[in-house]
Amino acid sequence: MTVATAQPGGRPARPRPSLAVPIGLLAFVAVTWASASEQFGIGLEVGDLIADIGRGAEIIADLFNPDWEFLPQTVGPMVETFQMAVLASVLGCAVALLVAFLASRVTAPNAPVFLAARTVLSVVRAIPDILYALVFVAAAGIGPLAGIAALTFFNIGVVAKLLSETVDGVDTGPIEAARAAGGNRLQTVRWSVLPQVLPNYVAYSLYTFELNIRASTVIGIVGAGGIGYLLQTQYRFFAWERVSVIIIELFVFVFLIELLSIWLRRRLV
Amino acid sequence: MSALAAGSRPARPSRAKRNLALLGAAVVVALCALTVDLDPGEILRLPVGVGLVFYEMFLREGPEWSYFPEALGYMLESLQIAWLGTVLGAIISLPLGFFGAKNVSSGLVSNVMRQVLNAIRAFPEVVLAIAIMIPIAGLGPVAGMLALGLHSVGTLGKLTAEVIEGIDPGPVEAARATGARPLQVQRWGVLPQVLPEIVAFWLYRFEINIRASAILGVVGAGGIGFVLQQAISFNRHERAGMIILVVIGATIVVDTISGWIRRRIIEGAEAKVSGELVEPELADVTA
Repeated sequence: MTVATAQPGGRPARPRPSLAVPIGLLAFVAVTWASASEQFGIGLEVGDLIADIGRGAEIIADLFNPDWEFLPQTVGPMVETFQMAVLASVLGCAVALLVAFLASRVTAPNAPVFLAARTVLSVVRAIPDILYALVFVAAAGIGPLAGIAALTFFNIGVVAKLLSETVDGVDTGPIEAARAAGGNRLQTVRWSVLPQVLPNYVAYSLYTFELNIRASTVIGIVGAGGIGYLLQTQYRFFAWERVSVIIIELFVFVFLIELLSIWLRRRLV
Repeated sequence: MSALAAGSRPARPSRAKRNLALLGAAVVVALCALTVDLDPGEILRLPVGVGLVFYEMFLREGPEWSYFPEALGYMLESLQIAWLGTVLGAIISLPLGFFGAKNVSSGLVSNVMRQVLNAIRAFPEVVLAIAIMIPIAGLGPVAGMLALGLHSVGTLGKLTAEVIEGIDPGPVEAARATGARPLQVQRWGVLPQVLPEIVAFWLYRFEINIRASAILGVVGAGGIGFVLQQAISFNRHERAGMIILVVIGATIVVDTISGWIRRRIIEGAEAKVSGELVEPELADVTA
């Protein structure tokens, strides 16, 4: 139709410019300027920053001079970090399996349960891991228990959300088949939904395990055990040569776990 | 085949490997559970402890409402740190992403760039803040912003490179055929294809950085984490309750707005009703 009205060899009319792009750009510049300004924001001075780069040089030089004699003292906390990550992954993924089925339209027993599960999930996910850690440290004191509990909640949020979305997308054929064969709700989920989502579940679980190894450093800083707690104590005393040992160790550890996880995912999924 | 009786089932595939893997995992978990430094009494007391803390935070006298304006101020600082960190990460990661994509840079350059990005990603924000940014910028929100920015370079650069590797080569060829110089090819052949998805990643990263900025305050790099930790370590639980409400509220509000914009960018104005977006960092998990 439009072909008939177009001039031979002429260009098609330019689409009307959308207002969304200029408004978006304007909003972006305004928010960025306000955030960086002294008056409304964090007071970012690029000039000062460049002048300051030299100031950190001494500390960073210390970081490149790790005190390897400190290494044996880091082994215990590192093992504790690993233990925390393993236990929290197992607990979190186990609970998430149940929650995910309640939070998917396909498998939820009724609408109220579905809505309740969804709401709980979105609140659980809005809370940063560090906040869980602070609350559990307040409740249980400094140590790995607070860390395991905090990571468990964090994992439930991640895995349950991903898995419930996967469950939403399953093929409904096997569900119908199971119902037709007289399966009750639990049997239907067990034999027609679970087998479909199991590979994804395993992948998500491995992914959260990786996340946990990283997150356990972060939450350790507020007293939830593991290597993060050691990092925080050394940082408090400005023992940069020791901080350096911990950081290098963490880097290697995270890297190895990632390799292992990638290898496992390829094999299993 | 001939050994199979008519109507009998085929032989079960071997499960030895799977069982071995499960056994291995079970052994690791059991070892961890047995050797971790916990006593059972402590575990049993945990629910009571959490209940008590929850009671003190929200129920005994209610959260400390008079602290609301101050908490909001600190939360605003956290949001600003997250925003500026994301902007910094986005600006730096965009060109690095082009270098990291095999189809627009050379094989060697892209490999080196990917390894650099992986190395950056391996350090959590808080470690970057402690080890590099606080020594340089001093205690305060600027250090936090730089730490978030650097970490975001790692994640955004990787995602950008992956998106670029998935482009349709047609427009690139067309741009070349019209005599475009290499930079023009990137500008007109590649960028328009990838920009919507990359902008959506930036917004998603902003959402993540808001959560990550909570920890920065604890080590002195600005934002709401600092007052939250103070409130908890001085047993001002009703104040901590107020701060927690502010964090949760602000996070949900920003997530909702950002999620809406992301959907608009990816799906266009027509798609008003739709499910939640898949988080980009999980693309490689599920693929």
